[in-house]
Amino acid sequence: MANWSKRLVPTRLIDRRAFLGSTAAAAIAAGLSTETWAQGSKTGVDLNSWTPKYISSIAGTENYDTAAECYKVVPKDYAGRVTYWYFGPNAASPQIQHEMDAQFWDAFSKTYPNIKVTKQNLDYNEMLNKLRTAALGKAAPMVARLPILWGVEFAAKGQLKEFKPEDVGYSRDEFWPGALKSVTWKEKTYGVPTNNETMAFIWNADLFKQAGLDPESPPATWDDVVAYSKQIKEKTGKNGYGMVARVNAGNTPFRFMPQLWAFGGGALDEAEASPTYKNIFINNAGSKAALQASYDMYVRDRSVPASALTNTQNENQDPFLQGQLAMMIAHPAEYAVMLDRAKKATGDDKKAADAVVANMRYGFVPKGSARRAIVFGGSNAHIFNPDIVEGGLDLNAAKALVCMLTGPEWSTKLAWTDSNPGNVRGFKTRWMKERLDTIKFLDVTTSMLPYGVPFPVLPQSAEIMNIVVPNMLQNALTKKMSVSDAADDAAKKIKDLMSDF
Amino acid sequence: MTGAVAGLVAPAAAPRSRENLLRRIVRHRADYLYVAPALGVMALVIGYPIYYTIHLSFFRTPPNLALDEKIFAGLENYQRILEADTFQEATWNTFVWTIYSTFFSFVLGFGAALALNRAFHGRGLLRGVLLVPYVISAVAASYVWRWLYHSDVGVIGAFATALGLSDGPINFLDNRQWVMASLIVVNVWKEFPFAMIMLMAGLQTVPEQLLSAARVDGAGPWSRFRHVTVPHLKSVILVTVLLLLVTNLNSFTIPYIMTGGGPAGASEIWITHIYQIAFGRIRFGLASAYSVILFVVMMALGYFYVRALTASEEKAAA
Repeated sequence: MANWSKRLVPTRLIDRRAFLGSTAAAAIAAGLSTETWAQGSKTGVDLNSWTPKYISSIAGTENYDTAAECYKVVPKDYAGRVTYWYFGPNAASPQIQHEMDAQFWDAFSKTYPNIKVTKQNLDYNEMLNKLRTAALGKAAPMVARLPILWGVEFAAKGQLKEFKPEDVGYSRDEFWPGALKSVTWKEKTYGVPTNNETMAFIWNADLFKQAGLDPESPPATWDDVVAYSKQIKEKTGKNGYGMVARVNAGNTPFRFMPQLWAFGGGALDEAEASPTYKNIFINNAGSKAALQASYDMYVRDRSVPASALTNTQNENQDPFLQGQLAMMIAHPAEYAVMLDRAKKATGDDKKAADAVVANMRYGFVPKGSARRAIVFGGSNAHIFNPDIVEGGLDLNAAKALVCMLTGPEWSTKLAWTDSNPGNVRGFKTRWMKERLDTIKFLDVTTSMLPYGVPFPVLPQSAEIMNIVVPNMLQNALTKKMSVSDAADDAAKKIKDLMSDF
Repeated sequence: MTGAVAGLVAPAAAPRSRENLLRRIVRHRADYLYVAPALGVMALVIGYPIYYTIHLSFFRTPPNLALDEKIFAGLENYQRILEADTFQEATWNTFVWTIYSTFFSFVLGFGAALALNRAFHGRGLLRGVLLVPYVISAVAASYVWRWLYHSDVGVIGAFATALGLSDGPINFLDNRQWVMASLIVVNVWKEFPFAMIMLMAGLQTVPEQLLSAARVDGAGPWSRFRHVTVPHLKSVILVTVLLLLVTNLNSFTIPYIMTGGGPAGASEIWITHIYQIAFGRIRFGLASAYSVILFVVMMALGYFYVRALTASEEKAAA
């Protein structure tokens, strides 16, 4: 293992911003023919300009009057009611998310004093099933904010109302094409993006140091992740990589698919330059290599938490804060969460937590043999069809809410620690500048946007990502099946699923 | 004459019986009116869902279709279930889960009931303590046990390591070999007080005279237990075991919250599998067929339960 550290530790420490700048520049220099450019092009991000420097330069350059913009769509004195379901801040969210959520509702009631809101803040892992049941029972809310992965299923069932950015006064150019694609089903638009998420790679510099690794450099490739994880376990006894492989929890595909795509795999062909969503890649050589990498960490090296099969990402936060876990894929929010928790800790726990926070580092998610990739995530605001909305749809009230949610101001504020505003004008606001100035590592996740790959825009996507892919992982990691058999089994399930439609 | 009369009388018997039924209904119309609202509500909230589930079990309901666009598929859903590997695994898991949970809950409950039936200092407190698992919400218990079992930070694993029984994390819930046994322990912990209560109530009805007579006749504790107590508790035992079987067969909360059926399906039992098919995968037709199969098994258990209950009531009446 000593060879690894010799090969990977640079002779001098690299400044984080310099590292990001050079990485982005390297990506640009790689030219238009690279796979990375194909991804950037697909998600609508121009790599030529999308650098941390550029993002910082446009932040705080424009002001927007949200109320004035929304009054053009729904007048101030409009009286009505709107029902709204969303997964908002919860116990694991940083305090600032709670504050922003409260500020939004305060602002909405001031902007539209005569619109009564009935809102439900649901648990992420429960919301999909509840919404499916409610929609079937004709008890859906008027508006729901759904993760990118879910919306198309409801659109395919005919449960969503056709609804596009122009309906709330915004141009399509204000939203990422990749995000707009996620609200499009059979050439029709069924929602408006609220925020776009890309995550980054987070590591504990002190644990790296203890393991003989360069504390300021993340693993460059997924092969490095496997090697680092083993080395950390061997040298420190702590867990290396924070794997998440729970079934039916969105955390799993958000962390495993970047690995799968990096090796040239995929559920379908979603990571290719021109996806058809008809070719199954889950058992190709790349997918099997990615699965083997997970197997190597979990089974061979035992260098990841043994509880990975039942964990969601929340369960990785405490061991990370206690310095028991070295690496994981995470949002910028993770830093805010760690800060909050460190503040609440006392005595020796506080000392340890403060030390871990000081040693937190964010970098680009590692590359694989085929590409660097991250999930192009986020959420969209949708309006349900009047015939399945409980108590009927008040379209104007719903429009007023969606307008507020998706404008430059609130799509920035409500995504305060969650990477990127849905409305690209949000990047020019003073709130974006404030975020960049105050949220450490935000620029890293924002700079990951060009590598974002949207999940397949298919109604089967939720089942593929939340059930088939995690089951494949579990089949291999529990040795129920060999790596190859687990991948082939997943391919068969996806094939059956596709033929079911 | 008798033959002729018999020939005349016999055909008239059926209409007279119907007439009697009608007359009886008319005569007891007030009774029927009293129960009519309850029957109506039951038909609506129990009868209709059962009918609709059976109906839906013969249809394909792909996830991109609304239920009113379902496609008739005959017995296809039943065929798919019976042919699926997951059915065999879930059935075996359900069998293991139900039988072991019932057996250990009953044995532990019976043991506790016998112990608490004796007078000793602190009996009341112990009764209260043993009832705690039963009154705790299954959801809360599941979350607490999940943390106790946690493979990395669980207290049980830490104790085992401290005592030198293990040299590292114990994968209670993340291991296919251990997961079902781990869940059964939690379920038994949660269920045994129920058996204890039932059997304690039964034990208090065992006539002291019979036990005294047996003692006078030279019967030892085991003989008195075997020949006096158990026969007297036969109906209570039967009802308790049947209720435990039904409860465990329908038990959803503990396996769903603690493992979600994992890892790799190792703790997937029928009821969690049905939930997953219906709400995780939106296969309502398939899930309905599964539910019908479970319903048939439950009805069989229900039949034995009613028979046991009837026998118990008849015995009490006698």
